[in-house]
Amino acid sequence: MAEVAVPQVFTRRASGLVRVMSPYSAFVYNILTMGVIFPWTYLWAPTAFQGSNLVLGIAFAFLFELPIALAYTWLATALPRSGGDYVFQSRVFGGGFGFTVVFAFFVVWILQWVALSGWLLAALGIAPTFLGLGVTTDVHAFTTIGTWAATSNGIIIISLVNAAIALVLLVSGFRNYVRFQYVMWYAILVSFGIVLLLFLTTNPGAFHTKINSFAGAIDGVKNFFGQAKAAAAAGGVDFNPPFFLFGTLMVAPIAWTSLQWATYSVEQGGEIKNAHVLRNQLFIIVGSLAATAGLLVLLAVAMNHGIGGDGIRVASSGYWYANGKALIGGGYMFPNLIAMGLTSSPIIVAIIGVGFILNSFQIVCNCYIGCTRIMVAQGLDGLLPDWFSRVHPRWKTPVNAHIAYFVAAVPVIFGFNKIADWSTKWALGITFANGAVMTLSALAAALLPYRAKKLYEASPGAKYRFGNTPMVTIFGTLGFLFGAFMVGAFLFVKGLGLAYTASAFPYVIVIGTAVFGLIVYFIMKQVKSSKGIKVEYAFAEIPPE
Amino acid sequence: MGLFGKKGDLKAEPTRLFYACDIHGSEPTYRKFLNAAKFYDVDALVFGGDLMGKLLVPIVSDAGGVWRAGLHEQKHVLTTPKELAEFKKSLDTLGFYWFECDSDEYRWYEGHQDRIDQKFDELAKARLAEWVELAENRLAGTHVRVYLCGGNDDTEKVLSALDEVSLDRVVNCENRIVPLDDHHSLATIGYSTPTPWDTPRERTDEQIGELIEKLMADVPDPSRCIFNFHCPPLDSSLDTCLKLDASVWPPTPVIENGQPVYYGAGSQAVGDALDAYQPTVGLHGHIHESRGATKFGRTLALNPGSEYGEGVLRGLIVAIKGGEVIGHQFTSG
Repeated sequence: MAEVAVPQVFTRRASGLVRVMSPYSAFVYNILTMGVIFPWTYLWAPTAFQGSNLVLGIAFAFLFELPIALAYTWLATALPRSGGDYVFQSRVFGGGFGFTVVFAFFVVWILQWVALSGWLLAALGIAPTFLGLGVTTDVHAFTTIGTWAATSNGIIIISLVNAAIALVLLVSGFRNYVRFQYVMWYAILVSFGIVLLLFLTTNPGAFHTKINSFAGAIDGVKNFFGQAKAAAAAGGVDFNPPFFLFGTLMVAPIAWTSLQWATYSVEQGGEIKNAHVLRNQLFIIVGSLAATAGLLVLLAVAMNHGIGGDGIRVASSGYWYANGKALIGGGYMFPNLIAMGLTSSPIIVAIIGVGFILNSFQIVCNCYIGCTRIMVAQGLDGLLPDWFSRVHPRWKTPVNAHIAYFVAAVPVIFGFNKIADWSTKWALGITFANGAVMTLSALAAALLPYRAKKLYEASPGAKYRFGNTPMVTIFGTLGFLFGAFMVGAFLFVKGLGLAYTASAFPYVIVIGTAVFGLIVYFIMKQVKSSKGIKVEYAFAEIPPE
Repeated sequence: MGLFGKKGDLKAEPTRLFYACDIHGSEPTYRKFLNAAKFYDVDALVFGGDLMGKLLVPIVSDAGGVWRAGLHEQKHVLTTPKELAEFKKSLDTLGFYWFECDSDEYRWYEGHQDRIDQKFDELAKARLAEWVELAENRLAGTHVRVYLCGGNDDTEKVLSALDEVSLDRVVNCENRIVPLDDHHSLATIGYSTPTPWDTPRERTDEQIGELIEKLMADVPDPSRCIFNFHCPPLDSSLDTCLKLDASVWPPTPVIENGQPVYYGAGSQAVGDALDAYQPTVGLHGHIHESRGATKFGRTLALNPGSEYGEGVLRGLIVAIKGGEVIGHQFTSG
């Protein structure tokens, strides 16, 4: 009788097998997490790196993120049940390292994102929406609200309310958030699509006329664009710069502030691992990464078509060159604000605004969801007080961790909006911290086959090798190198924030948070030790023999 | 006084136990469980159920001296005894069973679930018997006892191995009250509420409640009783898992608004019992992804979770004294 080509595994009825989820849903929501609305690529890069090519820069960001995303896929399928950067790094580098890095560079630094999301909500969402409504409906109260929302006090109040609403929504049960996320997803899709359409159906000449009219209605200024362009040129903006390769490479870290979040929600609750899981994760992570990069490229192309290179540079000068003449209603010329200026329909303005408002709100929710999960895990491991991991008896959510995160975000919100250099020069440079976590997790992936050999060999990805080298090592190494390049750029390239002020203070903060994380670790270790508990047991591997 | 201080008069020192569950046939994870006694310096090892593995991998040999097997939906061709041994070791880590056969024997099993189930029971029982013998050997001469029981995934046929071998260090605590130390007892129930997989040892919530009542009738002081109930309390955060649509096979996650739905799959009866009896501590498993701790009145209920498939032993060190939990620690070994 013929040989059996591929014997099938025999299962019991009680196998615990679960049909692999369709990757489509996770694919779709990963795009939402990556923040297509973040404006910095279009607002920061063009004048910080004059001569840079936005489309190429976004493509570089995609290519740099790709091996990181692949490395995370391997990690997620090797540790499907308790995944996440804290566990990945603890397994490979040890508990002290894993705790310090993730606590300092995610939990502490993502407080910055809570503040940023409030700023996005106010400056990118509420302000442009009400300004746009004010112009299209001729209702002055709208314009007043829009202008107020862009002031530092307005942003602070909106940020606090934003964080408080997210707290209440998430504490009341994750299911409530999921229902709301559905609404957010469609709202941002429609909103983003309309913005693209507005840019694609106009041209620079028409844009000049419309933006002059728009700015004039809000600020009473005549020939807004001409004046803004002249001021930008006087300030040093070159409106016909030669192509700058290094500058284009430096667009990548900025675009990475969106694309790096492709790995934030990597999670797979697979009981029995199989190749489908690996393939699905690849589709979810890499597919959503490619789709988001595509959307960002599309926006760059659409903006270039609709408002031209001059329009992009004038908008950017308002941010990077602090060109006051390039502000509308006191706010920067964000893509969605420009799009609102291209339409006379209040309905279109409202639709655009709602999408951006909701995506901004979704970001603060993501901050809570990810960081409270980390705090709960660290609380259970004894590295944070038990209080953080307590679950509300009725709502079944880690209320304490949520409340702690809200309280910790309050001073950050004030600092972000009241200390000038914080928000304009250091803010996105702080993305280095989050990038550092992902870069180190990529390194953990590279070392997984050697530092956690048995775990790796039991995973679906173990079969894939290039010669004698595990594929995860190749992806992880590339991811680490590219990530280190981008993180290093944030730290040392003048146009990317931290180095701009030529001050040691931002670096003190960077090092300080890492030291803070280390101090927390050693304090908790001592506290637990005095009660006879060894926190090392949370990670120490028992020998089987 | 240290919680994990030197051993001495057990009346003065807390009893330290190590709890783990849901290892589903994983050989290295079980060996780690036994070694946990020395590694964590504890007085008792308590296992919370689900010993049996989930898959059976036939390794088919052919006339050419090559072995073939399927795993993770990938084809494995093993050409040397060393490759074969490594493959078997990886299966042991995953908790799968394996047997070598030729093509004819493979075909004899293929498509015959009753024969496959019988093979499962045969291999699982043999592995459990080996595990019991290993425990007896490793813990011989120590004061440490191992409390073993089954969970909902284990068949009665396999669990009968616990009654068929001679036990000294190993205690078969399945559905009974046993002394843990001079001051505390251990109450064990390995059943769970119904699951999408119609596992061998499921009971309705009412039936679990009746079992608990019957068991606890023999306990003089419930406050000094440790609950070793495989099924966690309902909606406690120790039982949160994917909601599955069991109308298809294999069951598929329920998706709402584009996201998988999570729900509590535990037992109301277990929760009621924790509230009513206020035992020293509740130790639970069953839901591998729901590591956590919660309180029912004064009683701490814990689930260490499980990562057996990765060869990681998730567990709990719990120190108890005078009916109180002095301290606890989640471990990942």
